Amino acid sequence: MALSVTVDLTAFALGRAWKTPVLAASGTFGYGQEYEGLTDLSALGGIVTKGLSPRPRAGNPLARICETPSGMLNSIGLENVGVEGFLRGKLPFLRALGTRVVVNFFGERFEEYAECAALLDGHEGIDALEMNVSCPNIKAGGMEYGTDPETLRRLVASCRRATRLPLIVKLTPNVTDIVAIARAAVDGGADGLAVINTVSGMAIDARARRPKLATIFGGLSGPAVKPIAQRMVYQVARARLGVPIFGMGGIRTGEDAAEFLLAGATLVQVGTWNFVDPDATARVARELAAFLAEVGCARPADLVGKLELDESLLPHTPGGP
Amino acid sequence: MQGTVELGGKSFLLRVEDAGELAGCAPGQFAMLRGEWDGDPILPRAMSVMRVRAGGGADFLMKEVGRGTRLFRDMRAGDRVTILGPLGHPFPAPDAARRDVLVAGGVGLAPLLMQAERAAAAGLADHVTLVHGGRTGEDLVLQDDLRATGVALRLATEDGSAGTRGRVTAALGGILDGATLMACGPTPMLRALHALALERGLPCHLALEETMACGIRACLGCAVPAREKPYLYVCTDGPVFEAREVWP
Repeated sequence: MALSVTVDLTAFALGRAWKTPVLAASGTFGYGQEYEGLTDLSALGGIVTKGLSPRPRAGNPLARICETPSGMLNSIGLENVGVEGFLRGKLPFLRALGTRVVVNFFGERFEEYAECAALLDGHEGIDALEMNVSCPNIKAGGMEYGTDPETLRRLVASCRRATRLPLIVKLTPNVTDIVAIARAAVDGGADGLAVINTVSGMAIDARARRPKLATIFGGLSGPAVKPIAQRMVYQVARARLGVPIFGMGGIRTGEDAAEFLLAGATLVQVGTWNFVDPDATARVARELAAFLAEVGCARPADLVGKLELDESLLPHTPGGP
Repeated sequence: MQGTVELGGKSFLLRVEDAGELAGCAPGQFAMLRGEWDGDPILPRAMSVMRVRAGGGADFLMKEVGRGTRLFRDMRAGDRVTILGPLGHPFPAPDAARRDVLVAGGVGLAPLLMQAERAAAAGLADHVTLVHGGRTGEDLVLQDDLRATGVALRLATEDGSAGTRGRVTAALGGILDGATLMACGPTPMLRALHALALERGLPCHLALEETMACGIRACLGCAVPAREKPYLYVCTDGPVFEAREVWP
């Protein structure tokens, strides 16, 4: 006889309860209002806003996006309304939804990160901050801030001092050792880790002999990156750094979300698939509930990190291949 | 969906049975379309609505240019299409106080055929000239539908196989003074009309095309350089723009 369970999707992280463990990812959900009428915004686990900088930014020239096999490349250029534009024009709508609001932010210079975090502190309706550390560090030859452990630790520490809000650091996957980077973020004071941001990529128009994006390189997202994301979530979770992981990369179904929970994520974010299906974030949560019921789990937490595998088979493990 | 209708060359009509909210749409508005294929290509395609039929169906005019349009072309009756729309701002409604020249390039005919049909329904067919251009005669689809509207027609092909030989702009002689231009087609054609309209001070409405992932201003992919601010967006500010607003 099949056991019947009543599923409660509530997830707990960063000292908060989240209606579901499924959030809409930054850069794929605007400031929330864009999706009004297309999905039930009040039913989402949370909304992560478009990344904000202290002052508005106009973004990159065209072409900014192109489709790639099972994914897309983007180089939007961090276009955003700026902190003041957000607080006045966007936050009141978000606050009224009764949905968790995570504000993604970045700086154009090292010092601007802490400035941005401070500007976002102390406003009702913001539940957490998410740091985008994939911006180019001009002083380091354009290398992403999030690719050097010591730079990242100092950058996170500067923001940690600037805000009382829980601080999530969104890791770039464009590194050799994701665990060293994750550890540096936690050492700097991160309360949570978002794994992963987009994968650096390029697409070429052979007939025109030109790159398809104006900025030549862009960030790859969508189902194409899911295996990379799951490997990195698993690696970071296995390091037991003591902070919750927001897993993301190519999620489009409830079963995809379950896979990320098994890999060790406490919550997940749906990104690119919001473009394909504006109801995707809510639908993934509904499908996750059905999946949990099917496998006899009452709560999403019952799946977190419950991957069954033989760690001796991991590469670079003593005794492994 | 009901199926597809081949129109010669690589052009075809995608006919959907129940177009839902598209019923009330106006010429120039568009929808994001995707078949229910499992994975690749993942993004929906932005398509102008060509016709809303009595009974709630709608037609989209397409040309196979890549993987996405090939999948649409291969669809069969009973296959499902997800539709998000109508989206964006339309062309100005036909008006007895204006004389309109509609300029269509290839399958850019879609919203302008609808516009011509609207003009005809309003008894304003004699206020409208439609100029349809293509590379070859094969690109000049739906000629019977165009003739049925009663608007004045001009044709142009680059190889001279139908109408005036040359680009569509070569077929505009003698009809531009005092006219309002409305255009949809390949970007080089729209660029040429943009320059022409600004030079001659003609009112001109261009339906622009830019790669977009969402259609609702979330992806910010479809930015267009604009006069008064850095960018406008094809999805929500357009797709129909006044020529002087864009491409400064």
